[in-house]
Amino acid sequence: MKLRLSLAILAGKLTAMVSRTYGHKGSSLPGMVARRIYPGALRDLAAQVSRGILVVSGTNGKTTTTNMIAGILSEAGYKVTSNLEGANLITGVTTSLIKDAGIGGKITCDYAVLEVDEASVPRVLKEVKPGLLILTNFFRDQLDRYWELDKITGIIREALGQQKQMNLILNADDPLVAQYQKITNFPALFYGMGPNEQSARTSSQTREGKFCPFCGNALTYEYFHYSQLGRYHCPGCDFNRPDPQVEAFDPQIEGGRASCRLVFNGQEVELAVQVQGLYNLYNAMAAFATGLQLGLDVQGVLDSLSRYQPVTGRMEVFNYKGKPAYLNLVKNPTGFNEGLASLRADRGSKDVFIAINDNDADGRDVSWLWDVDFEMLGEDHRSYNRFICCGLRGEEMAVRLKYAGVPADKVTTDENVTQAIKDTLNGSAGAAYLFSTYTALWPVQKIIKAITVEGGAAR
Amino acid sequence: MIRVCHLYPDLLNLYGDRGNIIAFQQRCRWRDLPVQVDSLNLGEKVDFQKYDFVFLGGGSDREQTLVSVDLMKRRDEFAAAIEDGLVVLAICGGFQLLGSYFMSRNGENIPCLDVLDFYTKAGERRLVGNVAIEVELNGSSFKVVGFENHSGLTFLGNNKPLGRVLSGNGNNGRDGLEGVRYKNVFGSYLHGPLLPKNVRLTDYLIGLCLERRGIKKELKPLDDSFEKRACEIMLRRMGLPGR
Repeated sequence: MKLRLSLAILAGKLTAMVSRTYGHKGSSLPGMVARRIYPGALRDLAAQVSRGILVVSGTNGKTTTTNMIAGILSEAGYKVTSNLEGANLITGVTTSLIKDAGIGGKITCDYAVLEVDEASVPRVLKEVKPGLLILTNFFRDQLDRYWELDKITGIIREALGQQKQMNLILNADDPLVAQYQKITNFPALFYGMGPNEQSARTSSQTREGKFCPFCGNALTYEYFHYSQLGRYHCPGCDFNRPDPQVEAFDPQIEGGRASCRLVFNGQEVELAVQVQGLYNLYNAMAAFATGLQLGLDVQGVLDSLSRYQPVTGRMEVFNYKGKPAYLNLVKNPTGFNEGLASLRADRGSKDVFIAINDNDADGRDVSWLWDVDFEMLGEDHRSYNRFICCGLRGEEMAVRLKYAGVPADKVTTDENVTQAIKDTLNGSAGAAYLFSTYTALWPVQKIIKAITVEGGAAR
Repeated sequence: MIRVCHLYPDLLNLYGDRGNIIAFQQRCRWRDLPVQVDSLNLGEKVDFQKYDFVFLGGGSDREQTLVSVDLMKRRDEFAAAIEDGLVVLAICGGFQLLGSYFMSRNGENIPCLDVLDFYTKAGERRLVGNVAIEVELNGSSFKVVGFENHSGLTFLGNNKPLGRVLSGNGNNGRDGLEGVRYKNVFGSYLHGPLLPKNVRLTDYLIGLCLERRGIKKELKPLDDSFEKRACEIMLRRMGLPGR
C-alpha cells in the first residue's frame, strides 16, 4: 500500500503543478486524482498529523474561520496545512494533505485545519478523525442541492453519532448548532454574544430552526442578533441557549473594523478584527475559542486575529482612486442580509454592483433572493447612487430590487461585467460595494484587481 | 380594498414564497389599488369569507404536516369560499395539500384537504430544474417560467392543469401537464417565485379579485421591462422562443 500512497501523492502533486501552469487554482483536482489511484490516501495521511486535526463546518463563515485558525496556529509556531482556498469537498480536503506530504508518504505538519462542506461532513469523518470540530451556524443554503436544512442537520447528527470521541467548539446562539452537545455528550466549548443595543426583540428575517430539535415546541426568544441567532429557550423541555464560556459584549462595527469586549474564564480582553460585519465577530470568536481550547497564549491569539486579512470576497477592501470598494461573497439569505447590514451601516453615498449566477456551485434556484431583505434598501434608497446588476441572473436581481421598493431608474442591468464594474467604481458615490455569488467571485475579483490598487495599505 | 391572506408564512416559506405576496402587493400599490395583507399562522382563526386572495406556499415535510392538521379543521369553510370564487394560489407543498390525498412511499394514503380533484404520490427521484409552461387565460396564451423541486408526482382527475409543459417536468414528468386550475384556484409546482416575473398571471389574479368585488376595469399598464427580460432570458436558455 505504501507504494500506491506514494504514487497517489506524486500524481496529485503533478496535477497541482499542471493545473497551476494553466492558470487554474487546482484545489480539488489533485485530491480527486490521488483518490482514484489510492482511495485510502486521505485516511493514511490524516492519521499521521501529529498534534491533531481540526474540522470547521457550518453554513456561513467556514472559510474565514478556517483562515483565522490557521493563522493563529502558524503564528504560534506550528506547521499547519489547510484548504485555505475553500475547496471543501472531500477532494479539496485530500489536496490539502497531499500538499503537505512528501513523496515517501510522510506528513510533516503539526495541525491540519480543514474546512468541510456541511454535506461532506459524514464522508470526511469516515476517513479523518478530528480532535476538534468547530461548527459556525446553519442557515438555508442552496436548497436545490440539499433540499431542506433539516436534512443537513440530520446527516451531521448521524455522522457525529458514529464518532467515539472529540471536542466541540459550538456557537451557543444558534440552536441548530448548540444542539450537538446535548446530542453527543462530547465536551464542548461554547461561544456566543451577550445582549447589546442592537439586539432585537423580534426577527423579521426568514428564520430557521424555529422549533426545539428535541421536543418540537416553538422556541421562545429573549432577543435576536440576526436570523435565528440569539438567546432562546424551549418552553417544552430543558433545551436552552448554553452559557457561553467565551462571550462577546458591546460589539462595535465601523470603518472596516469589528471589535467587542470578550469575557472568558473570568478575564476580559478586547477582540478586534480588521473586517466589517457582526458575523465576522462570530468567526473571530470561534477562532479565539479554538485557540483557548488548544491552550495557546491568549495575547498571541488576539494579535494574530488583529492582523487577519480577509480572504477573497469576505468584505475584501480595494482602493480605487482613494475611495474604498468592498467585495463580498453572497450565497444565501443570511449572508446577504449581513452584507446589506454593513452596506447600510456606511452612512455615506454608495454605488452598488450585484452579480448573480445560477451555476451548480451558486445554487441553480435563485428564489433565495426573495428571502433576502432588500426592502431595507428601498427604505433608504436616497443614500444609494445606483445599482448595477450582472451575471446569468442579473435581470432577476433587477426585478427583486424593483419590487423591494428601489426606484427603477436607479437600477440597471449590464451583460458586460468589466464595464459594469468600471461604472460602479467610477460612480459619483463615496464608496463602492460589490456583491457576487460564488462562480462570479473570482472573475469579479480579477477585474477589480486589474483596475484598482489593492487597498490593504490605504486604510 | 383587496384583502390578502398569507397562510402560514412562518412554516410555508421554503423557496422565497413571500416573493409572490410582495409581487401581488406591489403591483396593486403601483396602481393605487388599496391592498392589505394579513399573515396568519398556526392556530389563528381564518375567516375565509373576508378575503379576496389566499396564498399558500411550500414547506418541509414536517412543517407541511403541521399545516395540514391545522387547515383540516377549516376545510369546509375553505371549500365553500373556493366555490364562492375565492382567488387562491398554492405553490408546491401548498398545491399538494389541495388534492385528495398523498400516497407515501410505503403505500400509505395521507389525506389532504380534498377541495380539488387530483392526488399526489411519492416519486423515486426529485424533479429539480428550470421549467417553462404555456398558460391560456381568457383565450390568449403566454409562457410562464419558474423552478421546480419536488419528489411528489401529481396526477389530475377532472380538473384542468394550469399549463402545458414546454421544458422541465411539471406535475409528474409524464403527462406534460403542470399545476391545476379550478374556478379561481391556481396550484403549481413553479416557484422562483412565480408571480414576480410572470406578471400577466399576477395581473390576472389581481383582476379576478377586483371582479369578485364587482369592479370591472382594465388594470393600468406598468413598465414591465425587467420582468419581461428576466423571462425571455430563461426561455432562451431553455431553447424556447421568447414571449
